[in-house]
Amino acid sequence: MPKCQYVDPGKAFEAGYIHFEDIPVCQYNKTLAEEKKIYTKDDFMRIYRDMAIIREFETMLNEVKVKSEYNGVKYNNPGPAHLSIGQEASAVGEAYCLDINDFSFGSHRSHGEILAKGLSSIYKLTDEEVYDIMKEFLGGAVLAVVEKQMKSENIKDLAINFLLYGALAEIFARQTGFNRGLGGSMHAFFIPFGLMPNNAIVGASAPIALGAALYKRSNHKPGIVISNCGDGATGRGPVLEALNFASMDQITKLWGMDGKFSDGGMPILFNVFNNHYGMGGQTRGETMGFDMAARLGAGFNPSQMHAERVNGYDPLAVIDAVTRKKALLLEGKGPALLDVVTYRVSGHSPSDSSTYRTQEEIDAWKNADPIVAFRKKLVKGKIATEEEFAVMHEQITARMTEIMKLAINDEISPRMDLYKDPDAISSIMFSNQKVVSMDPSREAEMLMPKEECPRVKEIKGKTRTAKDASGKPVSKMKMYNICDGLFEPIIDKFYDDPTLIAYGEDNRDWGGAFGVYKKMTEAVPYHRFFNSPISESAIVGSAVGYAMCGGRAIVELMYADFIGCAGDEIFNQMAKWQAMSAGILKMPITLRVSVGSKYGAQHSQDWTALCAHIPGLKVVFPATPADAKGLMTSTLDGTDPVIFFESQRIYGIGEEFMPGGVPEGHYEVPLGEPDIKREGKDVTILTIGAVLYRALEAAKILEEKYGVSAEIIDARTIVPFNYEKVIESVKKTGKILLVGDACERNSVMRDMASNITEMCFDYLDGPAVVVGSRNWITPAFELEAHFFPQASWIIDALHEKIMPLPGHVPSNNFTDIEKVERAKKGL
Amino acid sequence: MATVVIMPRQGQSVESCIITAFNKKVGDTVEKGDVLFSYETDKSSFDEPAPEAGKILAIFREEGDDVPCLENVLVIGQEGEDISAFQPAADAAAPAAEAPAEAAPAAEAPAVAAEAPATTEGIGSISPRARLLAEKTHADLLKAVPTGPNGRIIERDVQKLLDQGLTVSPAARAGYTAAVEGTGMNGKVVLGDLNAPAAPAAPAAEAPVVEAAYEDVKIPNIRKIIAKQMCASLTTMAQLTLNTSFDASKIIALRGSLKAGAEKMGLANITYNDMILFAVSRVVTNYKVLNAHYLNDDTMRYFKNVNLGIAVDTERGLMVPTVFGAEKMSLNDLAKSAKSVIGDAQSGKINPDLLKGATFTVSNLGAMGIESFTPIINPPQTAILGVGGITKRIKEVGGEDVTYSAMSLSLTIDHRAIDGADGARFLKELGFALEHFDLLLTK
Repeated sequence: MPKCQYVDPGKAFEAGYIHFEDIPVCQYNKTLAEEKKIYTKDDFMRIYRDMAIIREFETMLNEVKVKSEYNGVKYNNPGPAHLSIGQEASAVGEAYCLDINDFSFGSHRSHGEILAKGLSSIYKLTDEEVYDIMKEFLGGAVLAVVEKQMKSENIKDLAINFLLYGALAEIFARQTGFNRGLGGSMHAFFIPFGLMPNNAIVGASAPIALGAALYKRSNHKPGIVISNCGDGATGRGPVLEALNFASMDQITKLWGMDGKFSDGGMPILFNVFNNHYGMGGQTRGETMGFDMAARLGAGFNPSQMHAERVNGYDPLAVIDAVTRKKALLLEGKGPALLDVVTYRVSGHSPSDSSTYRTQEEIDAWKNADPIVAFRKKLVKGKIATEEEFAVMHEQITARMTEIMKLAINDEISPRMDLYKDPDAISSIMFSNQKVVSMDPSREAEMLMPKEECPRVKEIKGKTRTAKDASGKPVSKMKMYNICDGLFEPIIDKFYDDPTLIAYGEDNRDWGGAFGVYKKMTEAVPYHRFFNSPISESAIVGSAVGYAMCGGRAIVELMYADFIGCAGDEIFNQMAKWQAMSAGILKMPITLRVSVGSKYGAQHSQDWTALCAHIPGLKVVFPATPADAKGLMTSTLDGTDPVIFFESQRIYGIGEEFMPGGVPEGHYEVPLGEPDIKREGKDVTILTIGAVLYRALEAAKILEEKYGVSAEIIDARTIVPFNYEKVIESVKKTGKILLVGDACERNSVMRDMASNITEMCFDYLDGPAVVVGSRNWITPAFELEAHFFPQASWIIDALHEKIMPLPGHVPSNNFTDIEKVERAKKGL
Repeated sequence: MATVVIMPRQGQSVESCIITAFNKKVGDTVEKGDVLFSYETDKSSFDEPAPEAGKILAIFREEGDDVPCLENVLVIGQEGEDISAFQPAADAAAPAAEAPAEAAPAAEAPAVAAEAPATTEGIGSISPRARLLAEKTHADLLKAVPTGPNGRIIERDVQKLLDQGLTVSPAARAGYTAAVEGTGMNGKVVLGDLNAPAAPAAPAAEAPVVEAAYEDVKIPNIRKIIAKQMCASLTTMAQLTLNTSFDASKIIALRGSLKAGAEKMGLANITYNDMILFAVSRVVTNYKVLNAHYLNDDTMRYFKNVNLGIAVDTERGLMVPTVFGAEKMSLNDLAKSAKSVIGDAQSGKINPDLLKGATFTVSNLGAMGIESFTPIINPPQTAILGVGGITKRIKEVGGEDVTYSAMSLSLTIDHRAIDGADGARFLKELGFALEHFDLLLTK
């Protein structure tokens, strides 16, 4: 919505046509004689070798799965094995063009891509570089095994053993695997080779890869990003969102508009390994309508994403295409799309009985085997003899047998010992670091000094308390509020951390739907702060990829209700990668979501429980300006993924608790520490979020009308959460009510109530009682008092369930009978 | 070796004592004989001296704790000594003032709780917190009035029991399953009460809260006992008081001569009251119904001995120590015994066992100038003799009015056990005996 671009009604209605360029389909037709001018014999042989290694690796896994034995070595592997026999030429062709600055992300069928990219990187790195990488990785643990247990001819040979062993040990869940066995077959990766995480969720890598491209673009890093997926994955929203996000106009039209920071289009190649099937669903002819996946490019931008369909059974055709696409991307003409036609001869998994295809079809593709075809081509072209290939195959089989023996040896390749080290996984669920700048070597790119930022100036003139010195309420315009509390640490971080970017829908000119980023546009350049398309999956997924590359991101979903639109990205990606990478990856992402009211059923939900349920996420919900600032500061200084809940009811509220008002300058409120907002002795009320103010109202009535002194504790953070203060309070009062705006069933309050009951049982004078919203849809604003907890509900619940208050007549039904009846009806 | 200081058993009938104050805290150095802590039974209070010099290594109890007799209270010793062996067994209810630095290894954890938990048999639902409070304070849950949801006893209900002083002694708890009227301190239910017939507890109705200019002071335990016993006395008996007087000339003369010669003869300082006690001890044997306990509507208990209760005014309030076997004592012995128990009662050091067991009580207010009063019987005794002061009276001797010194006697009897005439006969004989005290002595 930039004002510099005029939306002209005249032009909007102008007559005309949309023109499409032809999309090349398998146009590669170079002869071997022509290719000989490009490739040496070594190159040809290396291409062949890499394909053969992949084939053998996958064959071994297939044998282990199907026969529990490979080459006479017995083993049972209960884990997954999504093999890519038949797709070797596509993988090797792609990887041939990439170096370690080029990041590739893949799918659950990525063994081939991992090995191909690894082998290519090993070839391109010097001996010294590759040795240093191996030595430093996981403290040299993987290297130690192959160095000690295997004979290697040279450093490169050692590195190949290292790659094969590290990947296989990972697949077999060994502690000596690339991710200590915590990633497994579908998530193996090795960042030092530019080999980024693969993903068990179909299509999930697309937005993540987009984030890596965003990292390269926003931080001016060299190289391109490859987003690999299957043709089946192109039916997924996150993939389509990523294609669009990467293509958006602003990257070339608005980013760097001052001429300082423009690097051109998104440097990403969406590479579809088109094996014709999404599991068993045939994309061409059954589950999709694109006929050829390359057609997708035409839907996203005028350059049609430079889309092309190539023969994925010919490594040289793939290399030819990827080389051209890479050049385009490096010229700033991204994004690009490749439809690499291939075939998965092996099943989707070993349990695949191929009910969806005929034997005739499989045999036909087997006859076209890319490895056999390439060998024949090289023999026919007199580049090598059959004998040379026979020797090579023998060596590969011997190597694979040796690697497998090592990887299944419990002494050499032990599994994580959770008896000896029960905290091994606990200790990597969060990185819990404090890192002020993710890249201290660079200055942050900003458009003006911080003091000149209009919002910074505006806040300077504000009163940092809710009431002035004389006790009168400060006028709304002059009062420092929660929006300001969020803004201050964010703008500070923009100046302190050059990697920080912030985006989401309507973030820039609008200032965020609720004004947190108001008047920030003038200070932060486009490539660090922009409006995203309405693509929640791509918003969160790209932040994950951005963080994987070493950056820090604040993304925003406007309403908490939209968490569902980014479900996989939040629950499977953002939450899990730190632990799945055995602590190798950091995930400094702040995901801001806002809990609404007034806007009905799909814009008023507190979904803290959904987020708190998923291990690996931190969940924060401040209710005061001082806490908002302190918690945002802690979040931004930290290295963990945080779902930062805000409440639209209280964005404009002033600071009522901190003596002297919200402190200026940098301070942290540690995540996990609840805060006593009102001291009392008779009953504890634990609040989550904006309901704090209704609890204070209830406390006032309890005090004045019933002589009951309520202690109010504001949870502030949900994960992590230190119960000590609450336990202490319950020991004192013996009574606790837990109040929040979330629907009562399975809410965070329920979880905490259960924990408190366990820990304080002997001190309780009544059950820990939850007061949440009704298990309904949120009705219209005018009816909200029947839905969200009110002060009177808190008093009624205390009266009915814990301590009858003399003379009190409840207006809400908190009886057990009513509860049973409601539960029967699912309410 | 560290020395453990236990809660002494102050008399066979004492089950537990309340610690009223600690004079020392953990880490203090004490000399032998220093007062470590003060404690009280339902009837008297005591100071516990240090058995030896040393450092207070641990205190297992808190002020206000009701500690069963013979249980460990604190440990004296030298710095660094292992005191884990003295830790009271599984005493969750009373956290130590300061946990010992080196806890006993887990393997030696006490296997069984020393105290029976508060019984919850016979009560309805109760919150864990209320139960914990009741266990710690020994509140008498059987008398609780639940005010929580669904008839649940909640904390405030237990607090109310405590405010009313309704507790159960540790010894009585195990067998306490039906509410009975407690006879211990503050109405505490003690072991002895468990065989008594159950009386339905009727907790007081809620009193309206009125703001006014007054001072609420907690009633001392002893006052509560007195109040309870007095009320019980008047509400359960049919009391009748008979008044008379006698010519005290003989005893006045005797007292004069005793005063003069007591020192030479090595006699006690014999008072009028001693002489009355002596006379009573001799005369009452002729009236077994007066030297008796009215146990219940079925049973009277007649005593072969005369155990005289002596009402004593003390700083803490009325106390009635007992002189056992008075009927066999000489006047001199009786006077000595009376002096001893009266002195102990006044100083608060009286052995609690001497505060019970009386078969007949004498209350003398003569020294305060009271001419006559209606004494109240100390149940289950059947009578009490009130003694007034000496006044001049006139009587006709040979047609002439002569003055003489008269002393009044008021006998309150339990009309359930005794008829007025019996009481009158006793009074008459007692008056005669006192008027002819010389004869009585020679008897």
